[in-house]
Amino acid sequence: MRISTVDGAMAELEADGLMQRASLVLVPQAAVGDYVLVHAGYALTVIEESEAEETLRLFAEIEAAGADEAGADAAADDTPAPADPA
Amino acid sequence: MPSAHFDELVARLHDDARDGLTYMEVCGTHTMAISRFGLRELLPAGMRLVSGPGCPVCVTAIGDLDVAVEIARLPRTTIVTFGDLVRVPASRTSLAEERAAGADVRVVYSPADAVALAAAEPDREVVFVGIGFETTAPTVAASLLEARSRSLANFSVLSLHKTMPGPLRALLDLGETRLDGFILPGHVSVITGSDCYRFLAEEYGVGGVVAGFEAEDVLEALLMLVRQREPRIEIGYTRAVRPEGNPVARAVMEQVFEPSDADWRGLGVIPGSGLRINAAFAGFDAARRFEVDPGEPQEPRGCRCGEVLRGILDPADCPLFGRRCTPETPVGACMVSSEGSCAARHRYQRLEERDGV
Repeated sequence: MRISTVDGAMAELEADGLMQRASLVLVPQAAVGDYVLVHAGYALTVIEESEAEETLRLFAEIEAAGADEAGADAAADDTPAPADPA
Repeated sequence: MPSAHFDELVARLHDDARDGLTYMEVCGTHTMAISRFGLRELLPAGMRLVSGPGCPVCVTAIGDLDVAVEIARLPRTTIVTFGDLVRVPASRTSLAEERAAGADVRVVYSPADAVALAAAEPDREVVFVGIGFETTAPTVAASLLEARSRSLANFSVLSLHKTMPGPLRALLDLGETRLDGFILPGHVSVITGSDCYRFLAEEYGVGGVVAGFEAEDVLEALLMLVRQREPRIEIGYTRAVRPEGNPVARAVMEQVFEPSDADWRGLGVIPGSGLRINAAFAGFDAARRFEVDPGEPQEPRGCRCGEVLRGILDPADCPLFGRRCTPETPVGACMVSSEGSCAARHRYQRLEERDGV
């Protein structure tokens, strides 16, 4: 998820329109615009941006491909989730 | 998630793999991903992928769960946990059953929520059950630091945390299956780094690749393993894992935890493989704060989770699988946990049958 704002040790994160808050105490070097891996409300590491961008681009391609198919049932119920652990 | 890259990885894997290779994954999220993406069906005929002790809830010894259940039964006490644990059968009952009988059992997404709960309800003892490997332990440590800075007198943690390299050594020492390599945990390795696994290659001649969680990530890791000329530890998940891991997270863990012996379902007590709360944070240690006597631990009758966790019994080969033991009526932890081998196989096996695959 991408850090959109930082307030002390807490951050607002965003991915595909979904907003979430998480603590940055484990990644004090993280800054606005960085992509981070989030687990149980804490960012665990900064993700190498180019790879995260490529993943997002692939997701966008898949969504576009789904929309191209004849209208009915184009919604992918198995859309892969971003790399957030369970 | 089919793509040209995915198909190419499958093709290269078939080209490059020799017969009779067995790889083990030791991460519950990998267990789920492999079943979800149907990867076993795409592997070369002679390649086996087995699941090891990578599910923290599944490897929690039943005696330890019994302690949590006894604490839940105490008056004015709130047990807080991640969702999975609530339905896992303990020796005589479960947190879910205790909740139905009036115990206060709450599910949270983050240990920080448990701290907030304690601050909001000072008249209750709030006990967080700490389960998880190195991915989760730093988050629990951080929330304990928060609890201390807020001088919370009613918050404590029952630490059942475990650490990863120990069980890998124990498995190899058992030598029940010849393993040609490990798919190493993705998010544990974010914290630990990859250097801690070097003993696998250097002492046991078994290689490993740290893998991410997309289908392509797992296939790439398998391909890297197949192509290793000599056993090595490599990182496939380079976008999130560095050889040195996250030193800040490890320092936070060390402020609060110290290594201890831990009891693993299926593997017994592995020295130094657990995390207990250290002396500096003794005031927040639920194991010290609450004296409970849960009685003799008792595994569910007929349950073979231990063998599943050692990778020597395939879930589908357990006599209870899909019959007496289902997600709705689980006998053992491997069927309950969202990262359990049996839960993964049952969920995606049924989908495959439904779709006529």
